[in-house]
Amino acid sequence: MTLGLRMMLSLWGLAAAALWLWAARDLPWPTWPFVPQGQSLDQIRMGWGLMPRGVVALLAGAALGLSGAILQVVLRNPVADPTTLGISAGAQLALVLATVFAPGLLVKGQWPVAMAGGLAAAALVLGIGARRGFAPVAMVIAGMLVGLTASAIATAVTLAQGQYLLSLVIWNGGALVQQDWTGVRHLALLLGLGAMGAALLARPLRVLSIGADGAAGLGLNVTLVRLTAVGLAVVIAAGVSAELGLIAFVGLAAPALARAMGARGIGPLLALSPVLGALILSLSDGLVLAWAGTGGQTFLTGALTGLVGGPLLIWLLPRLRGSTPPGTEAGDGPAPRLARPGPWLAGLAVALVVAAGLLLWIGRVPGGWAILDRESLAAFLPLRLPRLVAAAGAGAALALAGTMLQRLTANPLASPEVLGVSGGAALGYAGTVFALAAPGALILGAGTAAGGALALAVVMAFTARRDMPPERVLLVGIAVSALASAVLSAMIAVGDARAWAILAWLSGSTGAVTLPVALILAGLALVVWMAGLALSRWLALLPLGPAIAGGLGLDPRRARVVLILLAGLATGAATLVTGPLSFVGLMAPHLARRMGLARPADQLTGAALIGAGLMLAADFGARMAGFPYELPLGLFASLIGAPWLIWLMTRRSP
Amino acid sequence: MTLFQIHDLTVRVPGRTLLDNLTLDLPAGRVIGLIGHNGSGKSTLLKVLARQMPARIEGTVLFDGRPLSDLRGRDLARRLAVLPQTTPPAEGMTLAELVALGRYPWHGALGRPGPADHDAIAAALRECGVAALADRLVDTLSGGERQRGWLAMLVAQAAGTLLLDEPISALDIAHQVEVLSLVRRMCHDQGRSAVIVLHEVNMAARFCDHVVALRGGRLALQGSPADLMRAPALTQIYGLPMQVLTRDDGLPVAIPA
Repeated sequence: MTLGLRMMLSLWGLAAAALWLWAARDLPWPTWPFVPQGQSLDQIRMGWGLMPRGVVALLAGAALGLSGAILQVVLRNPVADPTTLGISAGAQLALVLATVFAPGLLVKGQWPVAMAGGLAAAALVLGIGARRGFAPVAMVIAGMLVGLTASAIATAVTLAQGQYLLSLVIWNGGALVQQDWTGVRHLALLLGLGAMGAALLARPLRVLSIGADGAAGLGLNVTLVRLTAVGLAVVIAAGVSAELGLIAFVGLAAPALARAMGARGIGPLLALSPVLGALILSLSDGLVLAWAGTGGQTFLTGALTGLVGGPLLIWLLPRLRGSTPPGTEAGDGPAPRLARPGPWLAGLAVALVVAAGLLLWIGRVPGGWAILDRESLAAFLPLRLPRLVAAAGAGAALALAGTMLQRLTANPLASPEVLGVSGGAALGYAGTVFALAAPGALILGAGTAAGGALALAVVMAFTARRDMPPERVLLVGIAVSALASAVLSAMIAVGDARAWAILAWLSGSTGAVTLPVALILAGLALVVWMAGLALSRWLALLPLGPAIAGGLGLDPRRARVVLILLAGLATGAATLVTGPLSFVGLMAPHLARRMGLARPADQLTGAALIGAGLMLAADFGARMAGFPYELPLGLFASLIGAPWLIWLMTRRSP
Repeated sequence: MTLFQIHDLTVRVPGRTLLDNLTLDLPAGRVIGLIGHNGSGKSTLLKVLARQMPARIEGTVLFDGRPLSDLRGRDLARRLAVLPQTTPPAEGMTLAELVALGRYPWHGALGRPGPADHDAIAAALRECGVAALADRLVDTLSGGERQRGWLAMLVAQAAGTLLLDEPISALDIAHQVEVLSLVRRMCHDQGRSAVIVLHEVNMAARFCDHVVALRGGRLALQGSPADLMRAPALTQIYGLPMQVLTRDDGLPVAIPA
């Protein structure tokens, strides 16, 4: 550990302590004996509110840092953490379901419920991973899909049960408010057990770090070590979730920071990450305390960890050395390849048109289904056509953006949703809603586009660096997304009508789209598609990496800027209609590739058609499932898409 | 005729000097072997010649008498073809499509591939003996076939100069000989130049016309394979006592003494 590092750590510690002391400046210290009886109200607030809160911040941060470090080591993946593996979302879903449907389960506390949810999510992800030899990429894809599905369901339930909204949102944002020392006792126990487990696992994990084959050759039971380590990390993360709610990012940021600070090897990483996690969370909580005062009960510390951790991680990324070691296990098996994709593409196009026509005619009426006659069609057409066109256009645009980004980064995980463009756009939307009294559609659109462009600019600042590998770009995207969702949770937690507006938009709705807007969106998708076809040679060259592409005279930097701008434009426009939640942009390119569309032009076209079809289906489902009420479109898209993709991943590749 | 004129070339990364004041002329129309111990700077030199070195470069490098940095991307790619040390996976791509990518410097992103392009692709597939594999997926080929496929892409590029970074390091001995024979034939029959980074000194001596040896980022030796295959020279290059034996057919073979 260098001198500078030690100085930095102590500075952070001092800052966190100073913030806490500043928050406590007006409160008297409690007197001995340490029992509430006979103390003044302020002494109680100090001794049973502020003091345990400070300790809880340290403990929870340390626990999350440890959990993230274990996951990153065992999966050999620098972007693994409780959030990216779906563990936190699983715990959240379990708590939401229990709150709404079976409050009785929560009588014994939130621990068992959250634990069960987190473990179920982790088991699902591990189950998929096991079929893929625990390949890191496959695991994170699976984890993110499980996480997205879980939060989509949780949001749907939340929307359906408005009266619980505020308490659920508060839990989601992670509040560190304490009323006594039980939280401290729970977390201390959790951290103690976790630390013991980590100490025991350190040596097997070090052996595992040379790769699964090498470790097995040294006589290590690879599966057992992996299961034990992941299980330990899940228990720690779910425990923190149960006690405090979703505190994103600490588990990702702490090990990344530790590595950037020069922690080499498993032991130092496992030791330094909890310290850094504790500091990050304490600092965040100190800021919340100092800002809102001790009375700021509903301000969310978890939301703020993104604010502190996100920029920190973005700043540190260029200094981050070493990521996934080379020779990590291969991911998916080879996808099939169609010899003659033409007929398939034509078939897709015909199916899309037929589906759109059918959806225009068929509808649900009170008491059953109906096919519209000529008169009703004339009456319904102005209502139905815009939303169909808008849904198809948005789906195609997202799919095109996803295809471009996946090929650009040679990374099957890349998509507008993952790269933070959607998150930035959402932030722009929310900011506009809060800043202006009654913004019109045009101003909202401008705000959304500006937010997306800003997120894009941040990501682009990194992609412009010549030596920035794809997984770092992904990490920037995740950082931007986390930042956006942190701010969003804070905004929604205000809990008034504006929060509802944002929450409704977040899950996406085509209800309010007018025909001109829909046509503009469809036209934009068409333009992006044609641009993509024109640039299909770039899209063939770029996955081969900058060395090959550069050697053939393609300027990778210029190609990146052009493609990212195209993808950003498509995403920004589509996000206005669907909300940022849908992940058609991740799904459609995968589906097209799995169909056997291998050439860039074919994959682009196929993905656009599939994306449009997915969105049409989602729109239909969203209108029909809850008839006569409408479910949000983007939400429905992820509800049908994610389980399907999960099922696809659980199949053994042929 | 000089292919590359390198003058006072220095490359530093934080904490290390990769190339130290290197001055060197590389002749045209020859197969040039670049050898040296691990970390001697041979791959760095190749990256500098390919204009793919991310670090800042001091000194000048002339290619065909012009500063290397003056050439625009696609102009350079028409004259200079590069094969990196590890070839990336070509997901879902057939060999014919891979080789067709070699025409990018000629038709660019938007230009229509003409008859000249198709002829070049077919000729490249034939020259490298992979015409029969054209419709196979690249990722399903064996190591030697794949390497010949990538060479075919370089041939389709129709560049006069090839830069190859350890093209045989992942191949068995039969495929090593096969690939290097192909490179040598390509150069001698078609008047191309090649700069090849090689680990194996015997392979370098057998297949190269001219050898450049680096040691610690400086020039240790340059000359013919005969100049290289002497025990004192090899000992100086590798810092290890070396012995040179003579085969029955008169070719020298170097082994650690």
